[in-house]
Amino acid sequence: MAAYLRCPLCGFEFERVDTLCAHGCPLGGSCNFVRCPSCQYEFPPELRKISWLTRLFGKTAVEQPLLPEEIRPLKELKRGERARVVCLGRDNGSRHNSLAVFGLTPEAEITLIQHIPSCVVQVGETELAIDPEIADEILVEPLDA
Amino acid sequence: MVSRTRRTAVLVGNPNVGKSVLFKNLTDRYVTVSNYPGTTVEIVQAKARFNGHEVTVIDTPGINDLAARSEDARVTHDVLTQQEDATLVQVADAKNLRRALLLTLQLAELKRPTVLVLNMFDELQERGGKIDTEKLTEILGVPVVTTVAPRNEGTDELIAKFAEARPPHESWLAAEPADEYRGNRARLAQVNDILAETYTMSQPSRPSLRVRLGFWAMHPVKGLGFLAFAVLAVFWVVGLFGAGTMVDLLDVGVFRHRVTPAAIGVVDAVLPFPHVHDVETIPISVGLPLSPVHELGIVTLERNVIVPMYTVTAGANLSPLQQVFRFVHDLLVGEYGTVTMALSYALAIVLPIVTTFFFIFGILEDSGYFSRMAIMMNRVFRLMGLNGKAVLPMILGLGCDTMATMTTRILDTRKERIITTMLLALAIPCSAQLGVLLALMAALSPFGAVLWIGIVVGVILMVGWLTSRLFPGETSEFILEIPPIRLPRLGNVMAKTLGRLNWYLKEVIPIFVVGTAVLFLLDTTHLLEGIARLGEPLVTGWLGLPGETTNAFLVGFMRRDFGAVYILDAAIGPNPLLTPHQIFVAMVTITLFMPCFANFLMIAKEHGLRVAWSMAGFIFPFAFLVGGALNHFGKWLPI
Repeated sequence: MAAYLRCPLCGFEFERVDTLCAHGCPLGGSCNFVRCPSCQYEFPPELRKISWLTRLFGKTAVEQPLLPEEIRPLKELKRGERARVVCLGRDNGSRHNSLAVFGLTPEAEITLIQHIPSCVVQVGETELAIDPEIADEILVEPLDA
Repeated sequence: MVSRTRRTAVLVGNPNVGKSVLFKNLTDRYVTVSNYPGTTVEIVQAKARFNGHEVTVIDTPGINDLAARSEDARVTHDVLTQQEDATLVQVADAKNLRRALLLTLQLAELKRPTVLVLNMFDELQERGGKIDTEKLTEILGVPVVTTVAPRNEGTDELIAKFAEARPPHESWLAAEPADEYRGNRARLAQVNDILAETYTMSQPSRPSLRVRLGFWAMHPVKGLGFLAFAVLAVFWVVGLFGAGTMVDLLDVGVFRHRVTPAAIGVVDAVLPFPHVHDVETIPISVGLPLSPVHELGIVTLERNVIVPMYTVTAGANLSPLQQVFRFVHDLLVGEYGTVTMALSYALAIVLPIVTTFFFIFGILEDSGYFSRMAIMMNRVFRLMGLNGKAVLPMILGLGCDTMATMTTRILDTRKERIITTMLLALAIPCSAQLGVLLALMAALSPFGAVLWIGIVVGVILMVGWLTSRLFPGETSEFILEIPPIRLPRLGNVMAKTLGRLNWYLKEVIPIFVVGTAVLFLLDTTHLLEGIARLGEPLVTGWLGLPGETTNAFLVGFMRRDFGAVYILDAAIGPNPLLTPHQIFVAMVTITLFMPCFANFLMIAKEHGLRVAWSMAGFIFPFAFLVGGALNHFGKWLPI
């Protein structure tokens, strides 16, 4: 099985063999960085032996931003309420882009359909289901009917 | 100049906009079509005649973005790069013009001749929307055609406009964008300007029944009701009607009453040797099932028929030629005969179950329910490192695990594909096995049946959770477009069912025939007993089953449903060999086996031989582990 890596910058998944640098690099075999074929970002691949223990017992930290008035996270919107998207959350190019291709960008007007079991919003004529975690990060400004 | 160079047409567009239906309209070649994004995972091409010119039409997987990220989007990306002189036929969902135009502006940068097709125009009008196509043509600089693909409306106009395809106006972006996201935001701003000039929508005051049904199907409470109804409907059609009524009719009514005796008669006439077949009275009762134990009887009849079992006439000495006759006789119509076992099993037991399953699966798929089910199941699937999108392959696995393994391509990351493949191979019983398992369940108490389901679900959750924790990689975020609820079209459901059956039979019947022949050879040469003796300690000691059932597990390595048939033989009848507790242990163990050899090959094809071997290396010991644990610690259960 080829080793699969995920670029921490752009989220692109690739095989380790795809990352070999050009011949003639002076660092040669002593360099243990890999390069993402999509965005050219160089990073050390994660160390496996530690990482699966971390995956089993590790926890992820949650951060809570301070918000100006009027602006609320999407998860506080009520069913059927309309809102304008202000920001899509933490900078994560690949997620922003996957939302953007469905028309969910800052300035887009959305209608909240439901939160449970998954968050569903309507953007134009597209109904889009998204993870609650993504909905937590999207900030919106409610529109008065 | 125009029509001479246009030899290739590539259908591109967002997922679930009807590219495949349009492809069928243009070329008269059927490809699988459904109301679920990601149905086309490979390119399909066919020849068509447009105004007397031969044109190759290529259907591609749907994309939302030209940048290739998922595996199927990469396929489309590759087609666009390779087909340099192709004309692009961009298919758009007229209701979703914004997203379509985003793609149009991306495609414009390729500078290829393009036709824009606004499909599903009826749904737009139904919702009170209007699009000024002339204005749109003027702004974009490409011909715009409106179609309603399922009714084949607008196809001729598309063919007529195909020759007029032109590259769209260029320079939509002021500057080269810094990254994909910024580029798309800039394009969306342009799209909004275009929409303001061409698109109007007057919201109806009250949503239609179909729209409201769509909301209810994903509502936290009403949605559960929908889910329960869907599960019951599937159980009734597949479990009771398919595996009950249809199997009775085909297995007993057709095969045991007619085909087997006729085949035995023919073989006996052609290859005579002195022997007498046993005669049994086989009753058949066909009825319409109402519940697992009640049915509305329609026909009950009995026939005296000859069966494969026979005794050689006493005192007769078989000449060498007669020995050969006997061998061929047994190979064709003996206990492990091609006709009496392989064909009757494949055509009379498996075929009706698979057919009913694929039929109802097609209906659910076309209604748009699966996306809503994905929403309902998303949280549970998150526990297993998957997201709601994995619901489609998991349910298709109840039809055929091998086919479902192929469908895992719609998932976004390698980790999700591996976990889903693993769970399919481990614990999702395919319809061939389900049929046998349902028959086995009749020998258990209702509690036993429920416990079996509980154990299988528990194994799926636990193994899924562990794999998701131990396997490196990420789970993709759940962002899923929900298609509108539609009334499935019977013609399309039938065509799809037939297509899947065709694939299934081609894949499966040879394996049945070869597998049965191998069994027959092992049985006649007494090799089966020899190998069985080696595995006996595991079966008798660890699983606590009689030594005779070793064969079942041995056969189960090849096809687990074959193994289940052996267990069924030992479990029913006047003097069953197994106690209910033993049936339960055997059932659970064989359920957790790998589905079949074809599945192993498919895993190797999709993920490499090493992954396939490691999965097999986990699955078989794990199945015995769970079975043994149930045997040793579950004796007190009231099964």
